[in-house]
Amino acid sequence: MKTYLLKRFFLIIPTFLGITLITFFIIKLAPGSPISIKVQAAEGVKAQSVSKEIIEQMKKLYGLDTPLPGWYEHFIHRTNALLFGVTDVEQRNLFRKTAEWVGENWIQYTRWLKRVVKFDFGESFKDHRPVIQKIKEALPITLTLNVIELLIVYFISVPLGVFSALRRESLIDKAVMVNLFILYSLPTFWVATILIMVFASGDHLNWFPIVGWVSDGAETLPWYKWLGNVAWHLVLPVTCMVYGSFAFLSRFSRANMLEVIRQDYIRTAKAKGLPRRTVIWKHAFRNSLIPLVTLMGTLLPALMGGSVIIEQIFSIPGMGKLGFESVLARDYPTIMAIASIEALLTLVSLLISDIAYVWVDPRISFGKL
Amino acid sequence: MGKTFLIRLSCLLSPVSCLLLFLSSCDVRVPKDPQWLIWHLGAEPDTLNRITATDAYESRINGFVYDSLIDRDNQTLEFIPKLAHSWEISEDKLSFTFHLRSDVKWHDGVPFTAEDVIYSFNQIQNPKVDAPHLRVYYKDIRKLEKLDEDTIRFTYARPYFKALEFCGGIPIVAKHIYDDGKDFNTNPAGRAPIGTGPYKFVRWDTGKTIVLTRNEAYWDEKKQPQLKGIRFKIISDDSVALQELKKGELDLSSLRPIQWVRQTDSEKFKGQFIRHEYYAPGYRFIGWNQRRPYFKDKRVRTALTMLINRDAIVDKLEFGLGQVISGPFFFQGYEYNQKVKPLPYDPPGAKKLLEEAGWSDHDGDGFRDHDGVPLKFTFLIPSGARFYERLATIMKEDFSKLGIDMEIRTMEWAAFIGRVNGRDFDATALGWSFGFDEDPYQVWHSSQAKEGSNFVGFENAEADRLMEEARLTFDKEARTRLYHRFHEIVAEEQPYTFLYTGEALVARSKRFENVKIYRGGLDVLEWKVTE
Repeated sequence: MKTYLLKRFFLIIPTFLGITLITFFIIKLAPGSPISIKVQAAEGVKAQSVSKEIIEQMKKLYGLDTPLPGWYEHFIHRTNALLFGVTDVEQRNLFRKTAEWVGENWIQYTRWLKRVVKFDFGESFKDHRPVIQKIKEALPITLTLNVIELLIVYFISVPLGVFSALRRESLIDKAVMVNLFILYSLPTFWVATILIMVFASGDHLNWFPIVGWVSDGAETLPWYKWLGNVAWHLVLPVTCMVYGSFAFLSRFSRANMLEVIRQDYIRTAKAKGLPRRTVIWKHAFRNSLIPLVTLMGTLLPALMGGSVIIEQIFSIPGMGKLGFESVLARDYPTIMAIASIEALLTLVSLLISDIAYVWVDPRISFGKL
Repeated sequence: MGKTFLIRLSCLLSPVSCLLLFLSSCDVRVPKDPQWLIWHLGAEPDTLNRITATDAYESRINGFVYDSLIDRDNQTLEFIPKLAHSWEISEDKLSFTFHLRSDVKWHDGVPFTAEDVIYSFNQIQNPKVDAPHLRVYYKDIRKLEKLDEDTIRFTYARPYFKALEFCGGIPIVAKHIYDDGKDFNTNPAGRAPIGTGPYKFVRWDTGKTIVLTRNEAYWDEKKQPQLKGIRFKIISDDSVALQELKKGELDLSSLRPIQWVRQTDSEKFKGQFIRHEYYAPGYRFIGWNQRRPYFKDKRVRTALTMLINRDAIVDKLEFGLGQVISGPFFFQGYEYNQKVKPLPYDPPGAKKLLEEAGWSDHDGDGFRDHDGVPLKFTFLIPSGARFYERLATIMKEDFSKLGIDMEIRTMEWAAFIGRVNGRDFDATALGWSFGFDEDPYQVWHSSQAKEGSNFVGFENAEADRLMEEARLTFDKEARTRLYHRFHEIVAEEQPYTFLYTGEALVARSKRFENVKIYRGGLDVLEWKVTE
């Protein structure tokens, strides 16, 4: 058990490196550069021919300047000669360009890695603020939203799944299923717009706010009113976030419940003459929760990741919006920070869910692995 | 059993619903002060550091927080004194001397001095400062000297008619705040600016709001701010912004043409809001990359323009809220040559021109070709802009009728601008917005074809000469003559298909008084609320 866990733990490191390396290269492969965006910030703004010198200064400022070491240039030259001879100029140029690109980005990646080991994610290209500070601002908002969402989803889906399992194939089971799948298939942006139009536009009803997660100046309210203000703001976004998740989870818990109900020990329990309630809630339901533990692996990263669409529509400055805007601005440090934190959380939560699995189900063990 | 389940469920949910009931029963709204203006902001500025900021959102906010040396009069657009109470221009038009006011204080009480201007100028030149967009504009200034406590002099390397505007408009930050020996770009004042302007910065809640309050000790008696404060509310989705306006949560917001025509013309809306329309300098166009063999010939470019029904496009796509134009200037400005009319929509004429230029279907594949080059190209547009997407479909349809094969390619902004700057496109659609006293040099001079905004590769010796001469011409009338001729050349050459100048559309709450529309737009400083 211990050796297995240690092994698993140390496997996280190379996996993490692999994920970040690939992410880094993919980001750099995307067309467009932060410098050209700086110079041509938006439509309509004219740009004067920016001299090479200024571009070089900018690269240096952003840490995108990477003089290749002499031996690497030499290596490119030699390999080129070896592979393509002297005649094939086009191939040679292509190879040299690719090799230089890889070399430059490798240097930039190692630079990034060296800083990250010290938990320094660098400065955002967009506004020169520390990336970690930007994440600290966005994370609590997204966390709050996601915790509320998950609580609602679990509290409704799991009982609903059990309920359907007990009435398997009945009309009500089918009706629940159809309805959940209809909800599942509705696109979020559409539902969000409809909700805004009906409940919050001022044209029909004017019940809820549609912008942000708290009113301006709400700090002056007493704490319970402040809380109420936040809850009032979150009604619509949370509604949009939860409705689509019921289908999967309730189907999942229904299937688990059905699985367990067929087991011998349930029959035994019934045969023993235990009341039905005890059989279902104590014996069947609790065992049906075991597979839910596997879902925990997705829980941690899901808590952190924000929904781009919902945050955009409701103007909520959470992680989704931060990530999306960073990608649009080619803000490499911020993108990398979000990606690597998410990667690490995923890896850690996979490990945790494995451990939890052993913990809740004594039939499973890591002993022989 | 089902019943017990439901009972259990309701037991579980009842505290939650009780809490919700409780929360909804108490009033959680925050009361509004009518003396405050709540203004829609379509995106968050990256920073409020006057020198490193690049976006329009920053200048909207900092325009209230900071002052410049000189300003433009709202109506006449002439320069008027601001931080500089007077200025002189030397005979050779190279030296610009500004006499600064001595009674101006930064918001923190420290007096504003010539040192602040010099410090700001030096930071623009500093390679460690993230301001390449400004550095190119100020590279022609040879030096900035302090003559005495209240006098500074800019010296230009060569005369330039916009020099006064540039020198007088130089962004000025407070030296005592920024000059702390640390990195300029990361200075906390970028999140909490301290200026000399009519409004003081109060708060910036990321992604939510930026709050300014009236500077009670504002030095300029003629321009005292009337409203108590301005709150900029960041809402990225413009349909949400309109709903927010209707709910009374916004006082001032710009509108899209469709919103103007369809969504804000109800009596209810007009009871609460007043809508304004005016033109701001700028235009939209289609650019033909003249490095491509099929766009080399001006007859082809002219034919393509004649195939695009610009009047119908403005009517249908922009609901008529725009003016079709014929050349590279603002049609209400003095530079615009009113004698040059937009080319007519004329498909038969276009067909004739194409045939004349040798573009007919030689190989019988249904598409025109010339010297073995088919008339096939990709039309590159930035994503998310509905106008360009709909324009592209109309063009594709109309072009295909005449044997021109156009493919539409939509790209996200960063990738799009990378392609355009790399000159790696066939045709594209974009817009320019500019100020008053326009200098077309960056967009049209041949020196800007390699890098710079002349991405279509327009090269014309006479046009080059006219633009160079205009840059040295300080007399407005003489410059007007040069630009009128320049306008004729550009219209003749058709490097762009000039589309239209769209109207700026805004809605604002009725409670504000003294709202005037100037040639320069709206001036919020004058707005008043009387209860």
